[in-house]
Amino acid sequence: MSLASFLAKKIVSSVLTILAILTLVFFLVRLTGDPFAELENDPRITPETLQALRRLYGMDKGVVEQYISYVHNMLIGEMGYSVKFSKPVFDAIMERLPYTLALLVPSITLSNYLAYKIGVEMGYRRGSRLDITTLALSNFLRATPYFWLAIIFLYVFSVQLGLFPLYGAISPGLSFPSFEWFVDYLWHYAIPFLVLVVRGTFIFVLYVRNSVIDILGEDYVAVARAKGLPEKAVKSSYVARNAMLPMITVMGLRYAFIIDGAILTETVFSYPGTGRLVFEAIINRDFWLLQGVMVILSISVVLANLIVDLLYALLDPRVRSQR
Amino acid sequence: MAVRAVFGVRETIGIVFSSASARIGLAILLVLVLIALLADLIAPYNPGERVSQALMPPNEKHILGTDDLGRDIFSQLIHSTRLSLLIGFISALAATLIGTVIGLLAGYYGGKLDEVLMRITDLWLALPNLLFTILLVVLFAPQVGNRIVPIVVAIALGSWPTAARLIRSAVISLKQSQYIESARALGASNARIIFKHILPNTSSLIIIEVITLMGNAMLTEASLSFLGLGDPRAMSWGMMLHYALARNAIYLGMWWWFIPPGLMISLAVLAVILIGVGLEEYFNPRLRRRL
Repeated sequence: MSLASFLAKKIVSSVLTILAILTLVFFLVRLTGDPFAELENDPRITPETLQALRRLYGMDKGVVEQYISYVHNMLIGEMGYSVKFSKPVFDAIMERLPYTLALLVPSITLSNYLAYKIGVEMGYRRGSRLDITTLALSNFLRATPYFWLAIIFLYVFSVQLGLFPLYGAISPGLSFPSFEWFVDYLWHYAIPFLVLVVRGTFIFVLYVRNSVIDILGEDYVAVARAKGLPEKAVKSSYVARNAMLPMITVMGLRYAFIIDGAILTETVFSYPGTGRLVFEAIINRDFWLLQGVMVILSISVVLANLIVDLLYALLDPRVRSQR
Repeated sequence: MAVRAVFGVRETIGIVFSSASARIGLAILLVLVLIALLADLIAPYNPGERVSQALMPPNEKHILGTDDLGRDIFSQLIHSTRLSLLIGFISALAATLIGTVIGLLAGYYGGKLDEVLMRITDLWLALPNLLFTILLVVLFAPQVGNRIVPIVVAIALGSWPTAARLIRSAVISLKQSQYIESARALGASNARIIFKHILPNTSSLIIIEVITLMGNAMLTEASLSFLGLGDPRAMSWGMMLHYALARNAIYLGMWWWFIPPGLMISLAVLAVILIGVGLEEYFNPRLRRRL
């Protein structure tokens, strides 16, 4: 199969996945019940007002009709109006999304890089002090709830040492494009970023290490050594290179699940990102906001998957011919 | 996975005991189970009762101080063991059950059924797990009343796909073995082959999967409770951390309130991970001698 038809097949299945997630979200969201039900018991709200509200949000129509207009609106990028934040859903998301992306994408990238570098060394020097200490730390951090680690960092660096701010992403009163703003932003950024990098590195280092140990037992490594290749060459072109393949899948998909990390991080640090936004949307039954966030999320999940598949196909020609 | 991927139940238990890390894990787990069972005897106070002044630091009467309602934090810590272990275990069991049924059906019958079931599994794996679980808890858990069962169901529904994939691939390789072919030649029904010949041979995988999923389930329960989605009438370690954050224990520097619950979660999950490491070492001999 050529790369072009491989690509075409992947794109078709990606679009189908997005549609399936959109549908799932639509029906799941509608299972949460009527968002206006609470208003029925409010004496200040007349039945006419309630009726008008329902009509305004399209809730007076049948489910099928709502579904069709939902898919249509999402396709043209019209996401509706957030009840909770009293502004268009698109604006509410775009206000918060940069904070989440700027925090998580660099921290995932740096921890992927560190995990890969350290993992290869560990696998190579199995049983060394570096290997054993990192292994113990890694198993401990895998067991630690992520948000608790964040709490400890917050306590040590911000409360006890007073080096960093207690919460938020920016101090009030600073205007956006200025040098003070940027310094203040980085000052708030440091601890959440550090926690994410430390945890990510120690968790994923284990995958790299184990796959390096697997590869070291392969015949082609023995052959490479037997024909007298210097150990440096064996390490870089045989072991490290092959260890990269499974890592692309595992580590690439971390970008797809950014939101899971964001929900907890942003709760601990009161960070104004998409994680808190989607959590508030669920808790407040803000259908339109939730739908909007889920659409953006599912598209990014599918995109991350697609990029992982493509990278894999580029690095490993066998994949292209198989499927 | 190596040449032989299937072992009996007794053999699997033997394997667990043969590994040092698994023995340590089992010992920790055993202590935690004992704490959970004997919570009423160990805890000095009723965890839900106001027994002293609010927000007291550690002292002789309250070794971990009291919370904002004057309840003994140490007693809460002890009683939380119950819910955290129970939810972790039951949801892991339920997830493995769902995954096993789907994996068996897909692997054994193959064809269209396999295609459809695996498509659903893939779609499920593409969903952000924690977000999906939060959504399910908010959907199905009542505001007041029992929230524990909905939480277990939500965690199970969020985590079955890995089990389904694992069981499916084991069933596919088992299906091609000669004794299954002989059973079929002798005229055994599908149900008999599945329950008598295939299922017992996947029991080691099922045990490993329950153990792996249990660690994740405990962490997910802790996250849900930490976000304030737990059952307010019961106590769990995640819930204690939720209250600690909500009452500003971190800003006030009350480490005795927020450090112990996190340590307990880590200890419980670590125990499960160590057991898993022991099993993995056995099934993947190249990784042996790693600790």
